[in-house]
Amino acid sequence: MALRVVSFVNQFFGQLGGEEKAGAGPQVIDGAIGAARAVQQALGDAGTVVATVICGDNYAAEHANRAISELVALVAAQKPDLLVAGPAFLAGRYGVACGALCAAVQAELKIPAVTGMHAENPGVELYRRRVYTVETGAEATRMLAEVKRLVALGLKLARGEAVGTPAAEGYFTRGVTRNVVAGASAADRAVAMLLDKLAGRPVATEVPRPAFPPVPPPRLVKTLEGATIALVTDGGLVPRGNPDAIEALNATRYGAYSIEGKSSLDAAQYDNPHRGYDTTWVKQDPHRLVPVDVARELEQAGAIGKLHETVYSTVGVATTLAQSARMGREIAEKLKEAGVDAVILTST
Amino acid sequence: MRLELAWSVVDDLAAGSATRLAGRRLEVDVDGLRALLSADARLARVRLDLVHPGERCRIGRVFDVIAPRAKLGGDDFPGVLGAVARAGHGTTLALDGVAVVATDQQTDNVGTLAVIDMAGPNAELSAFGRTHNVVISAWPAPGAERADYLAAVRLAALKAAVYLARAAREAKPDRVEGFELPPSPRVPPELAHLPRVAYVFQIHSHQRPTGVDEGILYGDPVRRMLPTIVHPNEVLDGAVLRGFMGRSVTTWATQNHPMIRALYAEHGRTLWFAGVVVTVAQATEPERVRSAFMAADLVAHTLGADGAVLTKIGGGAPHVDMAQAASQCEALGVKTTAVVEDMSTDGSAEGMLLFDLPGVDSLVNVGSSQEPIMLPAMDRVVGADDLAPKLLGESRATYGGLCGAIEQVGLTRVMAEVR
Repeated sequence: MALRVVSFVNQFFGQLGGEEKAGAGPQVIDGAIGAARAVQQALGDAGTVVATVICGDNYAAEHANRAISELVALVAAQKPDLLVAGPAFLAGRYGVACGALCAAVQAELKIPAVTGMHAENPGVELYRRRVYTVETGAEATRMLAEVKRLVALGLKLARGEAVGTPAAEGYFTRGVTRNVVAGASAADRAVAMLLDKLAGRPVATEVPRPAFPPVPPPRLVKTLEGATIALVTDGGLVPRGNPDAIEALNATRYGAYSIEGKSSLDAAQYDNPHRGYDTTWVKQDPHRLVPVDVARELEQAGAIGKLHETVYSTVGVATTLAQSARMGREIAEKLKEAGVDAVILTST
Repeated sequence: MRLELAWSVVDDLAAGSATRLAGRRLEVDVDGLRALLSADARLARVRLDLVHPGERCRIGRVFDVIAPRAKLGGDDFPGVLGAVARAGHGTTLALDGVAVVATDQQTDNVGTLAVIDMAGPNAELSAFGRTHNVVISAWPAPGAERADYLAAVRLAALKAAVYLARAAREAKPDRVEGFELPPSPRVPPELAHLPRVAYVFQIHSHQRPTGVDEGILYGDPVRRMLPTIVHPNEVLDGAVLRGFMGRSVTTWATQNHPMIRALYAEHGRTLWFAGVVVTVAQATEPERVRSAFMAADLVAHTLGADGAVLTKIGGGAPHVDMAQAASQCEALGVKTTAVVEDMSTDGSAEGMLLFDLPGVDSLVNVGSSQEPIMLPAMDRVVGADDLAPKLLGESRATYGGLCGAIEQVGLTRVMAEVR
């Protein structure tokens, strides 16, 4: 059965005009027009471009949320089986609109979507994790050949067929991992890789190095004698009974525990669900993880201004980056609000 | 040092009145074996089941898997079953096509238990879906501590492994596999051009400290072990057993060590196998740093290696520990590749690694143990009577819960692909 396809293009590729028409709002034209004709040509008998949805680049950039919800409504009205957006090549506003619309159509309408653009289009970095984005040239010089790759991938998505690797299908790595069965054992691959490395031959690592930006520690703006210091840990200290039900691994929760009036922590009142290290010694003496005792002494002696009366604690083992970042942000906001100047973060 | 594994191929396993190898059929005196294994005061009851490849059977509560081996005139699994004695030389009987599967009947946390499927798609992913398996279920005697129970279960499995392999005493082996590696410095001049490659083998992680009866290296629980050089034959011949923790390496994989085999296969051809350094993943930072640079020193300055491969055992701390040792090797000019597990818990590529250390840029992976996998319905459950209703039907598990799908020493072919 021929699939119903909607094509999304900007004002230029939709033949409304150039930059002077970039403010044009979302509109729909029956059938394929402009670049959508290439989509129809690539589809052949497999599908029909039932409508071309067009939006001006500036409208999409300046009214991003409104533009996307209006465009989603136009797409929904066509009841398509697939959305093909772009290709946007190196056109930045257009690329971002393509990515955003594909992401919204997938999420809200549960309709598969595919787009294409040049590696340096900002839309790639913003949307490649959520949207299949085929790599194209910077300009529309090889339009039909590139649209054919978009459409081939789009048809697989619409038909629920298995999608091959990024290299095989020509899309940008989405940054998701999937178990597959390799042609050789890991041991054989490791020895072969080492021999390549020793011989100076190119080595294709199976695991990309993380690309986290380094976080420079901020400078303490006042002296320690005048600073409020908080204790934070990912080592899993919780009050007995684990009232916040912090998970033993892959944590999504953290706790805020008062130490008001406590000069030290009584081991009998605490527990530790952390499954990533031997917690025997921390259970025996919680100060090995959260040094309330020493911190109070420093507070008494005036070496630090004040010990913050809330300890934040979570379990840091197999925690996803997304959860870690969220918990860190939330804890930091609360500390900031409470006037805390510095944190002693104990990890395990 | 020369080790010969005298392999007898087994393609049928059946209960019999006596334990013997009749051609390629292994007959087991099940009552006799059960009596042998039951003679341990720490165990109340022992049950044995025989399961076969292709049978719609699921083995539940898997604790460890042991390859049947028996020394001709030597001590088996020295320091744990036999007396403490050097392993890795002489002749050892080995059965191809049979494994001993030990189950853990005690733990309540079924989430940490592993299964083996004997049929269906998951059987393809594990070596133990393709072997005939003698499954041991043993229950603790009243009052037996958890550590005592696990030690008893493992000892029973080792006894069974020796008992079965001894059936091949009179048989003419189907093949004899020789492992011979001269002392590391003695390279013939005509092979001196080959790159020297060492293997850094992490044999335990002290995220969970070992118990006194949890022998890992010649029966030693490796509590305070510093990096040590061993001959690869010792590893192949039962000197190294897995501890009681985890499901990411089986003792079977250690006995058939894929990295040692891969290095032997290339030895004298494309590389010179310079030796094996065994390490443990440490619990504290000073221990970790000390272990990392000492391992690198042994690799670079004692074994004189140009390159090293590294593997880990367990979760995140061992993963970082291994990477620190690799980075120390690289700092000394030793090129490395390391075998990691995909550590992401949400399937995102950015979470695959827990380190970013200088020079540690050539990595092989054994897949994600967190990725979901379907367990199809089966006709029979063995080794987990109490869980049978749950384990019989179709259910969801993870790759990590399928014993033998991910062996961190590199035996398996599952890998996580970044898409």
